[in-house]
Amino acid sequence: MISLKTVRTKSVAEEPSRAVYDVASGDAEGAGGKLMVTRGTGRRVREALAEVLEGLPGGGVLYVDTRGVELMDYSFADEALGILASRVAAGEYGDRHVVLIEEDRELLENIEASLRQRGMAMIRVDEPGAKPEIVGEVSEHLVETLRTIYEAGSITNADLAARLGINHTACNNRATKLFKLGLIHRRKNTAAPGGRQYSYEGIA
Amino acid sequence: MNVRRKGAMRGILTLGSLDPAFEAARRVEGEMAVLDLQSVEFVEPAGLCGLAALLEFLIPRSRLVGLRFFGHDVAAYLERMDFFRIFGHRIETNVDVAALEERRRGNPGTLQELISFHSEEEIPGIINRISEILENKEYRLRERAAICATLSEICANAVEHGSSPFGAYAAVQAYQHIVSGGRERRGEEVLVAIADGGVGVRETLSRNPEYADHTASDNDALRHALKMGVSGTGEIGRGGGLAVVGQIAARAGGSLSLRSGSGRVTFYGDRNNSRNVPTFPGTFVRVSLPRKAGA
Repeated sequence: MISLKTVRTKSVAEEPSRAVYDVASGDAEGAGGKLMVTRGTGRRVREALAEVLEGLPGGGVLYVDTRGVELMDYSFADEALGILASRVAAGEYGDRHVVLIEEDRELLENIEASLRQRGMAMIRVDEPGAKPEIVGEVSEHLVETLRTIYEAGSITNADLAARLGINHTACNNRATKLFKLGLIHRRKNTAAPGGRQYSYEGIA
Repeated sequence: MNVRRKGAMRGILTLGSLDPAFEAARRVEGEMAVLDLQSVEFVEPAGLCGLAALLEFLIPRSRLVGLRFFGHDVAAYLERMDFFRIFGHRIETNVDVAALEERRRGNPGTLQELISFHSEEEIPGIINRISEILENKEYRLRERAAICATLSEICANAVEHGSSPFGAYAAVQAYQHIVSGGRERRGEEVLVAIADGGVGVRETLSRNPEYADHTASDNDALRHALKMGVSGTGEIGRGGGLAVVGQIAARAGGSLSLRSGSGRVTFYGDRNNSRNVPTFPGTFVRVSLPRKAGA
């Protein structure tokens, strides 16, 4: 079992609760450490991550910090992060999300390969608060939409459509895809002029 | 049984040089079998793992298995690679193994002696150990990651798909010259080899009806197994390990060779070489990772 002592949970006023899980500091009983290999190890890490994720309030974000990991093979990456990303996207954790903290280095290749294989993606940051990047499979027009949402901080569907120069329905479709990939928060604003309207914001 | 084989690199024990012995082993029915290794001057990890797989195949069929060496050098190398620790009590030989043990010296290029493993749970321990050795030998992080990821993925494949009666054997050796390619060349190379006695790649992929068009022959199945996302279970996310190992080897300027059944495919990144070979009872993987100066 992975030790949860490495998890820091922080509640900030008017900000969704966040937790940081440092994978390299996981306990050393055959699972944790700097060398993350095999599906069995990946499964144990994923279970620990899921436990933390489930403990977060709605809208919470789990930051998975892999910067201390020296090696991650494809099997581990798929089992720990590929499956987790798929389950987040499938809505198994409600509106809780996962962000990867990792620098742009070779270790990312296996995470990227797993996510692409699954048609999934994750938000990656070099460090908490840094500029968000994407790992995995996202089509070019969705990348543009995602970037616009993150630059805006929070944006309504109407404003997003205007910035992208597309109609509201097309914009809503794009944002829905990003929401279903677990890459953005989506809120329903019923007080909007003309009825309900969605607003979007980044998760990292 | 003589391991010499027409066309094989003279004096080098590879899996290919063991083919005639595998063929002869099929005909053994309880009598004593003697494996003549007297022409062998050099053993690479592929030959070592191949020899281990051959003995696992031969020992149950034979009253007694004997190994014959010329001189002490090859036997001494096998001793340093823990070969006699695993097989010493199961075979008879013309060398004094106890004397070899007493004179045992370190083998500077050995990254992993011959190791037998049976389950995925053993793999992190194997990887931790080899990573420590590589770190002590001042391999760069990128090289360590490439060697460890290669070993972990093919070890995991061997125990996951193998259903092998003896599990799997692995060995890793670093050389101060390029061994692969038939003649010695300048440069450094790390060779990783693994052999199991399982059902083989074709049967594993045949469990997935989706691959019916890709399992007509062993070579078809091996070529297909190298593609991203191809696995016996068909689950999304599975079947990436071997493809990633192929990419690692290609990026290093090396190769990934697979043998299973009567197929043999070598993957170089931009091309595959495949040919029909005598049947190997299980699956065998050999990865060449040349070291690049300044990599």
